[in-house]
Amino acid sequence: MRGRAGIQYQRNRLEINVVKMKDKSSMNMSVKIGKLKLKNPVMTASGTFGYGEEYADYVDLNKLGAVVVKGLSLKPRLGNPPPRIMETTGGMLNAVGLQNIGVDAFIEEKLPFLRKYDTKVIANIYGESYDEYKKVAQKLSSVKGVHALEINISCPNVQKGGLSFGADPKTAAAVTRKVKDATDLPVIVKLTPNVTDITVIAVAVEKAGADAISLINTITGMSVNVLTKKPRLKNITGGLSGPAIKPVALRMVWQVLQKVSIPVIGIGGIMCAEDALEFLILGAKAVQIGTANFINPQATIEVITGIERYLQMSNVANINKIIGTFKP
Amino acid sequence: MTKNIYIGEILKNEEVAQDVFQINVALHAAFGKPQPGQFVMLRISGLSEPFLSRPFSVYSFALKKNSCEVGLIYRVVGKGTRILAGLIRGTQVEIIGPLGRGFEILRDKENIVLVAGGMGVAPLSFLAQNLRTYLPSSRIYFYLGAQNAAGIIGVEGLEKSSCSMSLCTDDGSIGKKGLVTQVFQEQIKSFSPDSTVIYACGPKEMLKGLAKIIRGTEFACQVSLEERMACGVGACLGCAVAVKNKKSSVTYKRVCADGPVFNIREIVWK
Repeated sequence: MRGRAGIQYQRNRLEINVVKMKDKSSMNMSVKIGKLKLKNPVMTASGTFGYGEEYADYVDLNKLGAVVVKGLSLKPRLGNPPPRIMETTGGMLNAVGLQNIGVDAFIEEKLPFLRKYDTKVIANIYGESYDEYKKVAQKLSSVKGVHALEINISCPNVQKGGLSFGADPKTAAAVTRKVKDATDLPVIVKLTPNVTDITVIAVAVEKAGADAISLINTITGMSVNVLTKKPRLKNITGGLSGPAIKPVALRMVWQVLQKVSIPVIGIGGIMCAEDALEFLILGAKAVQIGTANFINPQATIEVITGIERYLQMSNVANINKIIGTFKP
Repeated sequence: MTKNIYIGEILKNEEVAQDVFQINVALHAAFGKPQPGQFVMLRISGLSEPFLSRPFSVYSFALKKNSCEVGLIYRVVGKGTRILAGLIRGTQVEIIGPLGRGFEILRDKENIVLVAGGMGVAPLSFLAQNLRTYLPSSRIYFYLGAQNAAGIIGVEGLEKSSCSMSLCTDDGSIGKKGLVTQVFQEQIKSFSPDSTVIYACGPKEMLKGLAKIIRGTEFACQVSLEERMACGVGACLGCAVAVKNKKSSVTYKRVCADGPVFNIREIVWK
């Protein structure tokens, strides 16, 4: 749509002229993560999409494979003091510190809004003890409208929690088992890249009963202000995200895929459909879009339409025929 | 779904004072009229650096036939603004907005005091223009401070909005020598809290100073805050500001979605 010459109403959506080999309606974009069926393989990444409502003005949530909400703890968490974010080359650092309204307020105030949409809701959960993980999982399993749990064992920002669980195969497995025992929902375990060998953790959580694995969370990093000689983040260290981390994420997804047989969800620096397809071709069943939402609120939708266009151009009717077609 | 990402076209991008640029962007008329104090997130189409969009308060707005013209001002402080300053007329930028909660206009206050430091002049100039339209009989007192004469911008436009101007600079090169908050403090007795509202925007230290000056008084005072942002819509929780809640314990609000305008008494100044 154009108004006066040169002034467009909406972002310019690239329309590639291709022979329509496959009609969109006959195309199958749905994927299965264990018993969780998604209408397409594109989800939002936890912590980058709020509780869904923050982006509902820009994105038709009905079109998403799933909405993964901001990490929930048993009690509300204040989060870290500012400054919490800093731009870096090809990405950003954050040390938000898991600020969230708590699981009860989520169920009361945020879930009713999400229930109105025809999309899957995945609750990302976080705890500082095994018991907290268990309680949060139980609360979310007893209400309507939550379709799966994603366990955050990997947030690098809170000193006494996340990292210690995710960096050790024994504690990672123990958390997984606790949550599995507390819920009938599919359980996805989100892994941290800040370990020596991520496949060891992946195998441990698979053995502990995880239904799927998502990776990677942010990579720990820093930035220094040379004028003040102070850290750019009040927390000193933060998690790096954005396109800068995509090659690392792809490498780790590839390594994990060699070692586990449960579904893997690829996360890390996906900005466009081509980025998402890299993960899918490696064998990830689905992807999560994170930091891209911040700079393009419609990134998720553009990735979905881009994947559809790729299927059309490849003359493939089913996304599952693309997943795992990597030729090393 | 009600909002869009707008493609804007740069109409001008000029240095209006030392290291201070005004950028005017043409957007589709559907963008709509921003409220004073609201902001936009701007990024350069097709560039991967700067990576994040940048927040800018709206400085001016004009509705044309099928389009509108949004004016922003910025100081070149880092890599992002340096790249922005190099853009020429016709370059495309992506804009989302208008975002955030702007200034609340109080109709029962006939005296309006605006206190701006540096780039804080942007939202307050836009507020002054709007007040002239909505409250034509109000008296507007504009206290404008900068480091030096070269940093004082937009005075002509403000005089056109019949603001009574008080200029001050750190080095005394124009107006009074000293901090804008000190100059206001010297004259605070000439205002009555019943009939006066204060709006302020500027560096954190300046706003903190203002908070001290009006502590213990009954003046209504709204401040517009600045913070690093990633999303601008309340999702990333990057732009946290410490506030006192009703039980007077400290919690964080989002400058982008809960602000950028806050009651000055709500903020916890560090």
